[in-house]
Amino acid sequence: MPAGMKPLEKFLKKQTTALTRAGGFGEKATGTGASRRRASLSRVVPFFRETSPESGPAREVFSPDTEEAPCWPSATADIRSPSLSSDEQSSETSLDTSWTPLPADTPDNLALALLDSVAGKRYGNCTETLLDDFMLTHPIFLTSDRFQQVLLQQFGVEGKAGEGWPSWDGAERKQAVLSVAFRYLDTYRELLQEEGERSNSFPKELYLCAVQELSQFPELVEDVLKLQRWTEILQCPSEEDKEIRKKQVRPLFRHFRRIDACLQPREAFRGSDEIFCRVYTPDHSYVTIRSRLSCRVGEILALVREKLQYSEDQPTQPGNLLLVAVTSAGEKTAFRPSDEAVFTTLGVNTHLFACEPSELESLLPLPEEIHWSPGDSKLHDMSAEEVATQLVVFDWELFSCVHEVEFVCYVFHGEQARWRPLNLELVLQRCSEVQHWVATEILQCQSLPKRVQLLRKFIKIAALCKQQQDLLSFLAVVLGLDNPAVSRLRLTWEGLPGKFRKQFQQFESIADPSRNHKSYRDLMGSLRPPLIPFTPLLLKDLTFLHESCKSFHGELVNFEKMHKVAEMVRSIRRYRSSQLALDTEPSPSHLQTKAYIRQLQVIDNQNLLFEMSCKMEPKDM
Amino acid sequence: MPEQSNDYRVVVFGAGGVGKSSLVLRFVKGTFRDSYIPTVEDTYRQVISCDKSICTLQITDTTGSHQFPAMQRLSISKGHAFILVYSVTSRQSLEELKPIYEQVCQIKGEVETCPIMLVGNKCDETSAREVETTDGDATSKKWKCAFMETSAKTNHNVKELFQELLNLEKRRTVSLQIDGKSKQQKRAEKLKGKCVVM
Repeated sequence: MPAGMKPLEKFLKKQTTALTRAGGFGEKATGTGASRRRASLSRVVPFFRETSPESGPAREVFSPDTEEAPCWPSATADIRSPSLSSDEQSSETSLDTSWTPLPADTPDNLALALLDSVAGKRYGNCTETLLDDFMLTHPIFLTSDRFQQVLLQQFGVEGKAGEGWPSWDGAERKQAVLSVAFRYLDTYRELLQEEGERSNSFPKELYLCAVQELSQFPELVEDVLKLQRWTEILQCPSEEDKEIRKKQVRPLFRHFRRIDACLQPREAFRGSDEIFCRVYTPDHSYVTIRSRLSCRVGEILALVREKLQYSEDQPTQPGNLLLVAVTSAGEKTAFRPSDEAVFTTLGVNTHLFACEPSELESLLPLPEEIHWSPGDSKLHDMSAEEVATQLVVFDWELFSCVHEVEFVCYVFHGEQARWRPLNLELVLQRCSEVQHWVATEILQCQSLPKRVQLLRKFIKIAALCKQQQDLLSFLAVVLGLDNPAVSRLRLTWEGLPGKFRKQFQQFESIADPSRNHKSYRDLMGSLRPPLIPFTPLLLKDLTFLHESCKSFHGELVNFEKMHKVAEMVRSIRRYRSSQLALDTEPSPSHLQTKAYIRQLQVIDNQNLLFEMSCKMEPKDM
Repeated sequence: MPEQSNDYRVVVFGAGGVGKSSLVLRFVKGTFRDSYIPTVEDTYRQVISCDKSICTLQITDTTGSHQFPAMQRLSISKGHAFILVYSVTSRQSLEELKPIYEQVCQIKGEVETCPIMLVGNKCDETSAREVETTDGDATSKKWKCAFMETSAKTNHNVKELFQELLNLEKRRTVSLQIDGKSKQQKRAEKLKGKCVVM
């Protein structure tokens, strides 16, 4: 390594391989709380796992087994700011810093407290914060069904003192319920649309109740009309629409990409979207199945069996088939039949295999498929400016597809999270893809002078991404260049002009994880939206928040934790609060670059990358 | 670890519903099902003999619809031998093979070195027959390729189809028999191993 470079050992190398579900073969279906948490942590931490093929097994920077999680203030059951009584709060111009959290309470009571606050509007901004907190985090502690029930109940109940609804008269009470209901429908619209018939019943019932009250409360008429519109919005799509959706299969996996689809702006994936997917057998035969994204593993296996024509009159009856994710390096993770929406959790070159339990041990990964011969990479003909622009544009499309609730669900998955964070997982996959793309391109470039040029280009690309405040690709490129297989190319790095090396050192220092990623956080603090955060770190923060505080104290919800989670989501909201203005002229070369960026071919087998590196620049004897 | 450069790749094309998957599955698994499950793209691998060694026969079963033209072009350019299937019960399905044949010619250039087999499947359907054997034969002469009628349902000519296709390959010696010896030769050797002449 060139002298003066910061020791990279500390730094978090990414392992795409570990992006596969960390369920692990043999993990029980109902883990204890501790093992479930372990799973959520290790899904994020791998981005920061340091490996070198020469040293032993990977060392995780934060081991899930440690007793002490990093410090976060732990919530106790009864927290109110000692300096403020509830009377004083109404006169406060609320900033988030003066916000006092709701005391821990049962889920139902929290819902009532919310309605109370909305009805009273007495906390001003605090009510909005409370409402937002509740909307973003309620799936953690209150099922949708139950929440809908509470709202319907409270709409109908007459205001009487002592029922948890002190002194709101009929109209105010009902408007509070409706106000919260609309907010709920707005937030969860897409999820509810996914659920079909079932989802329509809530606005419908509420509508019917409200209509009955119109004579007594004519001021509700606007809201009633709004409810009616909602029943239409959430109505089951017509048979015709269903047919159209049925025919459209969305490209997810590399084999099924189509250039025309790639060039279209990306739309968010939903659980009900259908995709094609290859499922391999141990001998590397494969079948292509068509499946919903949210499909259960058991159903996937049924489709595979059907394809392979397993029938009763076969001499060897296949036992229970297992669905296994195999990374390009050969690491395996077996899924449980109840696992859902596994497609988006796979690493870039990870493939699904169906095999019998006895065959699991001997599963071999597929050989790498690169469809161009070394030396022909189109990247050499593209300008750094154009490449960076396309990276940033695509990142924005991907980032914008992630619904706010996905951030919450990613971390709380497995604990009543109903919504799978598909689009968020795809952002993570993209980050991994970009990292590996950098390493792959450099290690495919046989000529030393060209390789040095490529290195310069990547550093320039990183600089441009940083300039455009896309920290996802910025750090992904930096991490790619920090890949041990790349950073050991002494001759290549030595060929780099001083000013580029210096610049890269600066970039590396931003990636330095010491003092809890202080450099990165300082940079973030200095930026104004729109910006794309380095998403793996964002999720790591959320995960630690989750792991370090309990969600429940017995039956009572730790709402202060929910508030903290919501605060994090609000900061993400701020990042996305303004539009990115980019100058994109649709020239033919621009389209070519765009297509290239959206169909990257990468090698993500670290062992192979290291081998290629050693062949290219053999170790000094 | 399976090596792609040693593979012998056979690609099966044809209109939807002619029986491509049935033929492939009958050959690979020995099974047959009446139910129709449209294929997107499936590939089956099997060890075969090749030039006194072994290699992997890779059979790609393709889609009858035209959803993935890029995928189709890729499988033609990577393929070594091609099976073009129509159903004897549908004249239309024979017509639909023309553009596929033309694309193979275009991409492969020299079609003479490339084993191509025209297959009329569902020959068990005597009453519903629309394409006579002579018609299929005539087309194959026009295209300068081999021709066979098969039935995946009754398992008629299925193994022969693949064996014949492999025999057409002139660039190397590929055969379904693993060690290149016939069954009789194998049996003789086995017996010899057990007897000792005193």
